Amino acid sequence: MSNERITIKGTSEGLIITIGAGAWPGLIDELEQNLSQKASFFKGGRVALRVGPRQLTRPQLETVGQVLNRHHVTLWAVESESSGTQEAAVQLGLETGLVERRVLEPPVEAAPQGDAIVVRRTLRSGQVFHHPGHVIVIGDVNPGAEIRAGGSVIVWGRLRGVVQAGTGEIGEDAVVCALQLAPTQLRIGSYIAHSPPEDDDHEFLPEMASVQDGQIVAEPWQDQAGSNS
Amino acid sequence: MSATVITITSGKGGVGKTTATANLSTALALLGKKVVAIDADIGLRNLDVVMGLENRIVYDLVDIVEGTCRLRQAMIKDKRLEELYLIPAAQTRDKTAVTPGDMIELIDQMRDEFDYILIDSPAGIEQGFKNAIAPADRVLIVTTPEVSAVRDADRIIGLVEAEEKGPGDLILNRLRPDMIKRGDMLNTEDVIDVLAINLIGVVPDDEAIVVSTNTGRPAVIENGSLAGQAFRNIAGRLTGEEIPFINLDGDDSFIKRFSKLFKK
Repeated sequence: MSNERITIKGTSEGLIITIGAGAWPGLIDELEQNLSQKASFFKGGRVALRVGPRQLTRPQLETVGQVLNRHHVTLWAVESESSGTQEAAVQLGLETGLVERRVLEPPVEAAPQGDAIVVRRTLRSGQVFHHPGHVIVIGDVNPGAEIRAGGSVIVWGRLRGVVQAGTGEIGEDAVVCALQLAPTQLRIGSYIAHSPPEDDDHEFLPEMASVQDGQIVAEPWQDQAGSNS
Repeated sequence: MSATVITITSGKGGVGKTTATANLSTALALLGKKVVAIDADIGLRNLDVVMGLENRIVYDLVDIVEGTCRLRQAMIKDKRLEELYLIPAAQTRDKTAVTPGDMIELIDQMRDEFDYILIDSPAGIEQGFKNAIAPADRVLIVTTPEVSAVRDADRIIGLVEAEEKGPGDLILNRLRPDMIKRGDMLNTEDVIDVLAINLIGVVPDDEAIVVSTNTGRPAVIENGSLAGQAFRNIAGRLTGEEIPFINLDGDDSFIKRFSKLFKK
């Protein structure tokens, strides 16, 4: 059978369920089927509902919310061109209109500079690694080691050496992520920063460094992922 | 019998390579193994002094390589232990007098005769280091709990890995439990945190080592010193024994260890 009247898409804001044309009761059944088929995929997630011009009443939206709840999914937003639907959504305490902007926003990092390369070892003092594309290190980057990447640098480990990211066209749009971000010196494009003197806790706190408003800023990964919803 | 060739190296000078080589060679011989220690620090020979054999030198490593003498003639038998020998370095030449190929060839001639061949590497990462590492089956990296020594050890581990001699095992030398307790010295965990290789031994800073070095009697011979005990333990571990570590970190609680700060 065709599921085309209901499409589900993952975005950075969670899942978006788009409901197309068709008789409402049938659509609810179809949604229900969809949810049970992919129960584990949905479980614990949150979804936004996109209904186009369709006019939905408050009870109808409540029904959708109940169906979703049965499958352990939370409805948090409804997007519609119909003012009636919007009003009903607001009455139920749901967000409206947020969805579109998020979906249309292009990914921050577009085309990479050449290929990414995976370095599957620890870079030790005196070792220098150059690559015109992105660099992914599975291991530590020790003090005295250096990475120069045309694109972004991701370290699945501790980053304590020197990193230059964004030597290529991507420039200051490059990012540097590490499970523990404590580089001796960090350069992104033409910006330079060094880690504040740390008090040497051995905790792993994943962070991502990027250029914001003309300086390199490091932020804990939790905030970036928006996983606290 | 096929010998295990162990090179002792560090990158940084003065961290205790020669002391470690003398003590481990002696300790292995005390365990009944047949051992030869080779001083590869050509031009700055020391191992003979630390082992108390300086006055017996006639020929040296360069003489063997250049064919001036036979291998046997350059091997000095230890004055205390029957099964311990030393091949001294030349004092008048430099590291370029020997190539890595020469070292491999020389060591291969001795493999059948000994249980362990220990090579004392010079400091640095140049030819002397390459000579010392070329014939190695195992590499022991000596470091002290100082940021600069650890940095050099890290560099050396990278070079050892590049030579496909494995990451090696670490000897952490000259630990001072009192300073660690005060948080003024890197502890074992701090060092391993950076180097991430197997720790084969921790040796405390011990006046007995200074005395033994000056008198040419390796500390492992006396029973009294903690450092001597630590080296005997390392020798035992080299032979495959499981020996627990002496607790030198100066703290007994696990929690304390994590809450400690150190100043750079």
